[in-house]
Amino acid sequence: MPKREPTVGLVFFPAFDWCITPDHPERQERLLYTRDQIQEEGLFDHPRMREFRPRLASDEEILRTHVVLPSLARNITESHRIAAGGTMVAADLVVDGVVDRAFALLRPPGHHANRIVHGARGFCVLNNEAIMVDHLRHRLGPDLRIAIVDTDAHHADGTQDVFYNDPGVLHISLHQDGRTLYPGTGFTFERGGPAAFGQTVNIPLPPGTGDAGMLMALEEVVLPILEDWQPDLVINAAGQDNHFSDPLTNMGFSAQGYAQLTQLLAPDIVVLEGGYSIESALPYVNVGLLLALAGLDFSKVQEPQGTPPRETKTILSQVAETCREVLNLWKNRHQVDLKEEFGPGPYFERQRQIYYDTDNIHETQQEYIRLCTGCAGWRVGFTSSTRNRTPAAAVLLPWKPCARCLEEAEQQYRELTKDKRFGQVIWQDPSAGGGAEKNGS
Amino acid sequence: MYTIGIDVGGTHTDAALLRDSQVAALAKVPTDHGDLFASTRQALEEIWRAYPGDGPVRLHLSTTLSTNAVVEGRGVPTQVVAVPGPGVNLESLKLPFTIHELKGYIDHRGREVAPLDPVELAGLREVLGSGEGEAVAVVGKFSQRNPSQEQKIGAELEKWYRGTITLGHRLSGRANFPRRMITAYLNASVAQQQLEFMAMWQRVLQDLKIPLADVLILKADGGTMTLEESGQRPVETILSGPAASTMGVQALTSRQEANYLIVDIGGTTTDLAVVVEGNVLYERDGAVIAGYRTLVPAVLSRSLGLGGDSELHCADDGTITIGPRRAGVPICLGGEKLTPTDAVSALELAAVGSRTKAVDALKEAGTKVGLSWRELAERIVAALIRQLHGAVEGLYRELEGMPLYTVKEVLNPPELRPQAVVGLGAPAPVFIPKLAEVMGLPYEVLPFSAGANAIGAAAAAATLSITLHADTELARLTIPELGRQEEMERPLFFDLAKARRFAEERLREMAAARGFGASEEIYIVEEESFPMVRGFRTVGQRHMVRAQLRPQVRRVRG
Repeated sequence: MPKREPTVGLVFFPAFDWCITPDHPERQERLLYTRDQIQEEGLFDHPRMREFRPRLASDEEILRTHVVLPSLARNITESHRIAAGGTMVAADLVVDGVVDRAFALLRPPGHHANRIVHGARGFCVLNNEAIMVDHLRHRLGPDLRIAIVDTDAHHADGTQDVFYNDPGVLHISLHQDGRTLYPGTGFTFERGGPAAFGQTVNIPLPPGTGDAGMLMALEEVVLPILEDWQPDLVINAAGQDNHFSDPLTNMGFSAQGYAQLTQLLAPDIVVLEGGYSIESALPYVNVGLLLALAGLDFSKVQEPQGTPPRETKTILSQVAETCREVLNLWKNRHQVDLKEEFGPGPYFERQRQIYYDTDNIHETQQEYIRLCTGCAGWRVGFTSSTRNRTPAAAVLLPWKPCARCLEEAEQQYRELTKDKRFGQVIWQDPSAGGGAEKNGS
Repeated sequence: MYTIGIDVGGTHTDAALLRDSQVAALAKVPTDHGDLFASTRQALEEIWRAYPGDGPVRLHLSTTLSTNAVVEGRGVPTQVVAVPGPGVNLESLKLPFTIHELKGYIDHRGREVAPLDPVELAGLREVLGSGEGEAVAVVGKFSQRNPSQEQKIGAELEKWYRGTITLGHRLSGRANFPRRMITAYLNASVAQQQLEFMAMWQRVLQDLKIPLADVLILKADGGTMTLEESGQRPVETILSGPAASTMGVQALTSRQEANYLIVDIGGTTTDLAVVVEGNVLYERDGAVIAGYRTLVPAVLSRSLGLGGDSELHCADDGTITIGPRRAGVPICLGGEKLTPTDAVSALELAAVGSRTKAVDALKEAGTKVGLSWRELAERIVAALIRQLHGAVEGLYRELEGMPLYTVKEVLNPPELRPQAVVGLGAPAPVFIPKLAEVMGLPYEVLPFSAGANAIGAAAAAATLSITLHADTELARLTIPELGRQEEMERPLFFDLAKARRFAEERLREMAAARGFGASEEIYIVEEESFPMVRGFRTVGQRHMVRAQLRPQVRRVRG
């Protein structure tokens, strides 16, 4: 990747005719002022930037990543397909060498969408980054190492869930402390499943953290971890709701801070997540981000209301403390006894209650992961919700399953299809393409 | 009603006299680059002889005056006074003119965030000088949403500046600050010359005693504007030649398809234009000329270095590529280098010059790569078609890659692909049928002598457009092209339908003031409307409506 004068591909899809509800933060107007600012600054037209049209994601591409209940059609709109498709367009532009970096500046967002989907949570139904990552591995092979750095103010619980046991993905989330904000997760002790232990990295930041705190976390934790892990691609899930003017969060970042973050992180692909200060933050944050991606001068980008005051010393020392803790966890991740962490096997079991705030759904999920030394291990999930009361089962294969896991998973799938308790039994093999839906009854 | 159309081209100046929709006469004189005015006058005199003297005459003039001034950098010394506010660093844009940055700041809604600094304003006198024989362009970021800061600076300059002053917001209602600076800069730099040109025409018309009802100037969008207007907005006359030619094809073609491709093949270049749903496509942002990206509305045209006189390159394996440079006069016409025209002549696809010379030259070149002269000639023709087809495909792919911002459009993208090919230019009868065959489409070749450019100029109609920005929360109505900003009455009831009506009425007034007929059709070419919600409450609506007199061409019988 050239260090100087990179070209940037922009997949801008503001979905000017789509909303969750007319007064919802995810409404038609969300990227209007951003479009106005980018257009007026002449960035759509800049010699180093090119705009591209999004496309629709196919069922196969979506179901490679997600298990959608009761069906895709009942959960998503065309706008979700375009957001996921546009994110894949952005990734293809980079891996095909059309541009050096790409920015999928589109909505609706995706980082709260789990692997198993019963509806919308945190305004998300489909996980755009996750679908893109699986698309890239489908194209380029399962050995691709991809790092996702999520800088949205909310913990990227959906992306964490999708890649929780995936050794090919390093997932780092910086966010406002889960004790103070939706979705209430993202603590340092959440470190990933048995096959990817340590590759889930959470950096919770205290409310009020500003540019200095964020850049400290980036320089002292994120960059060293990336340096250590050596990903083939770095993806930034760029939520813009850490901004001091955001109505849903309590952070203190500025447009300058975002631009500096982008410059330091130098991501290959950027995907918009949240950010709901649509007039006071997004236009400036996005201009700063685009300039930084293209290696252009962003020093004159500023919000009309000026720069927020620097965060307090107390906050900064809390951030420093968290940084030390996270870095230690990273360094010691191979010293942890996995048997102690996940039990002696042959399965690791976890049970979860998941709340879908956007659609007001409660899901109960039980998951078994086969502890395996030959591959990441096959999994089976049992799920039901207030929307889909009849339980469904999903047999999930990892990328590159070993022969024993493949055989066991097939055996499990056959048995489950005969089991009358399940309304649906789903077989998901990411390398084969889409998830097959099979009606068990 | 008679209309005379004159197009000043690189080689010839063409003139056409139309009686209503019938071509009454055509004339052609060589263009005198040393004295454009003289050859234009000559063309007018030529065509005037065919005028039977029974009815009023209108003159439509497509000039290359501003185009040449821009391309050759012959405008007057021009500086730019900018109010950039925060954002992209202007220095990083590396624009080829001096920019004086002033404090001040208008945001994306058109709200004044920071006022102008009176001390800086007063200091402009020292910075700019008297302005004698010079020009200045005043441009603010988001001035199309709120022109007040530009207007204040303009008013200050009016007091003492003696050169031309161009205010950015008057030229376009579209967003794009760098392009607005460039457009205003170019406009200011060629304005003086356009005024001289206008004065000269008025003298000529008096001299010739031609009873002209009207003199109209062709624009890059294929429409016309009044002579007086051209003094205010001379930058809009750039690239009117290619536009006139495209309008001529639309006027002359007998194809009835809604979508077609226009291919104008010349000696040096081939120009492509695209018609969709009966209308020629425009550049998304505006004309690009000599590397300047402007906001001037312009017919979309892609120029390829591919033509009858292009250079040939033959690889060792016999693969042939053509262009992009011109080889010069073809061998069959007495030149020295082999060209596609020689292949055409040798294969007897058209009778051009000496076929013997062409065959001999092909033989000689063929021996080097082990091909007979006929094989080589056929490969040359095939290569030209292949490259042309490749460029056409590339153009359509580019157009189909244009971003779309709504779910509706992504699900039903506009159908742009052509259903026919219309060609013109000297080599067109040879190459257009072959291109159409590759594309599997019907075609039409307009006769070379048809004078499509002059006819296009004559058949063009007035275009005018305005942009209305209406913000009901701020209770503000802005029409930058008119320099108008006013308080909105009863904002609660100002819906999109009202915004449309308001824009239409203002445009109708503007058209009437310029002497255009009330019959001109007004179209809403673009509109958007957003409810603005703050804290779960709708606080207002934001409408944008762009209304215009649609560029129309009369169908003409040749």
